[in-house]
Amino acid sequence: MNQRSKKTRIALQKTGRLQGPSLDFLRSLGLKFKSNGTKLISPCLNADIEILYVRNSDIPQYVKSGVADYGIVGENVLIEKKSRLKIIKRLGFGKCKLIIAAPKNSDIKNIDDLSEERIATSYLNTLKGYLEEKCVSASLVEINGSVEICPFLNLSDAICDIAQTGQTLKENDLRIIDKIMDSEAVLVRSPFFNKLMTDNFEKLITPKQ
Amino acid sequence: MNKIEPKILKGTRDFTPLEMAKRNLVMDKIRKVFERFGYDAIETPIICPADTILGKYGDEGDRLTYNFDDAGGRRLALPFDLTVPFARFFAANYRDLPLPFKRYQIQRVWRAEKPQKGRLREFYQCDIDIIGTKNLIADAEIAKVIVQVFKELGINFTIKVNSRRLMNAVLKDLNIPKDKITGVIRIIDKILKIGEQAAIKELETLGINTPEKMLSLLKPEQNTKATLEKFSKYDTEEIKNFLDICKNFEIKEYLEFDPSLARGLDYYTGIIYEVVSKDCDFGTICAGGRYDDLCGLFCNEDFSGVGVAFGFERIMLLLEQLGAFKDIQLNSKVLVTFFDEESKADLLNIYSNLIEAGINSEIYYEPAKLGKQIKYADKKRIPFVIIRGSEEREKDEVTIKFMSSGKQKSIPRSQLTTYLLNYYESKE
Repeated sequence: MNQRSKKTRIALQKTGRLQGPSLDFLRSLGLKFKSNGTKLISPCLNADIEILYVRNSDIPQYVKSGVADYGIVGENVLIEKKSRLKIIKRLGFGKCKLIIAAPKNSDIKNIDDLSEERIATSYLNTLKGYLEEKCVSASLVEINGSVEICPFLNLSDAICDIAQTGQTLKENDLRIIDKIMDSEAVLVRSPFFNKLMTDNFEKLITPKQ
Repeated sequence: MNKIEPKILKGTRDFTPLEMAKRNLVMDKIRKVFERFGYDAIETPIICPADTILGKYGDEGDRLTYNFDDAGGRRLALPFDLTVPFARFFAANYRDLPLPFKRYQIQRVWRAEKPQKGRLREFYQCDIDIIGTKNLIADAEIAKVIVQVFKELGINFTIKVNSRRLMNAVLKDLNIPKDKITGVIRIIDKILKIGEQAAIKELETLGINTPEKMLSLLKPEQNTKATLEKFSKYDTEEIKNFLDICKNFEIKEYLEFDPSLARGLDYYTGIIYEVVSKDCDFGTICAGGRYDDLCGLFCNEDFSGVGVAFGFERIMLLLEQLGAFKDIQLNSKVLVTFFDEESKADLLNIYSNLIEAGINSEIYYEPAKLGKQIKYADKKRIPFVIIRGSEEREKDEVTIKFMSSGKQKSIPRSQLTTYLLNYYESKE
């Protein structure tokens, strides 16, 4: 097994909409990175910091287990993974909302109408928590992508998914009936972060008094 | 012909399916916590040679032990609790058992009491014990098990703890003669039940000179730190170490060091526990402690042990009062209705699919009006009723009727098992 390097490690999305803005954020702190690297671990050129590129949904796991000291991840992913990681900064990009939508012509108009219906989602835990809060029982269909097609296929009566502009919903004749949460990218810190090692990074992100 | 009256003994109970559902729910939760801490189950016989039970609990205990001759002229007794049968089991088997040995035991015990409210002739106890180590980690683990059990049952509670060693030292310091210590401890144990004045009287009768002074000394201070301070001239090492380990176990907030806690039984020698509910006054719902010489009754070796018994029947009453069972269901979750012979093959196939998918379900045995079948489902608290009539057959759908709301929903036949397996029931 490899010994963990003595650098502060930050987990970032490998591919997807958060990667660019996440790197921009780190650069705005004065950190320099090589661009277009294909390696999963990429060192910072001017600090004892390295970036670990992983799948978005795996970031909480890496940070929780202390394999990475920090992570930049969508708040919605954090909640779905039930990881009670400390959010140390909200980053203001990657904004979206987790919503529940139903076909425009359906009888499902609000959250109460969802009782006993089939809801397709990739956010099973978050949806369960929300239904529990609203006292609604329903059958949950776990789908890992293109959830919006499920009502058309009669696999579900409604969907729970993230939406940014609402364009996808529109294209699939779906209408938002409820919003579960607003989300944005957040910086999280591992409960096992090494205080001595990460001091420099911590100074960078703490606003100067 | 004269029929026999379908009677049972007073102080014993029949449990209906509904009552058993509640009891099993609670027992499973308790058992799962025990197992999470690495306790394995044992069972001991119901009918025992009388000399393995009698004479271990004092005169009162002997009087309350069921014992009788069998046809072969043997004197038999029914277990009074699970501790003595466990000590006997351990003495008989310790050479082959892993040491330290930890076990849980959930069984019936019997008391030849005059039955009255809260006093039964036959009831359950749930015991855990760790035997063969004197390390206080074991004592603290028992406290951790207690915390976990009551947390998972949703009961607010406090664990009162004390050290028998400390209490003996205090009583010795107050010049209580050795032969009176047991008597004094029994009276202190009853204070909450009989009140302070009555306790003082009983202590005076026993020949104790300044009972007021003794009782006020034993009263806990506002917090554990202050109480420990008050007893600093005595040897508080044991209780301090115990509380330190509990702190590392993250359970200190549930503990209350109460130097007046006594536990009536004679055999305790170290840390003792007593759990009370914070929600209602139900008396003790779990109790126990460390004992050094219980197995000495049955074998020559000395084994120190520590354990507690959960008062299952009191816990049940408490949970009932807290409304923990208001949505309890029985085993059956789905009823496949049957109202025309034509759909029989279809229904049997659906029923078979449900069983194969691991869904608790049943089929109505003969074609009958839907209303009658719905009533049956209602009586059995079945939440889902499956209907497949001619209309559903035509579209290859099934209709699910939800008994709680009365709502009906049709879905493709092929999605029935996944629908039910993925059904998320909010608890409200």
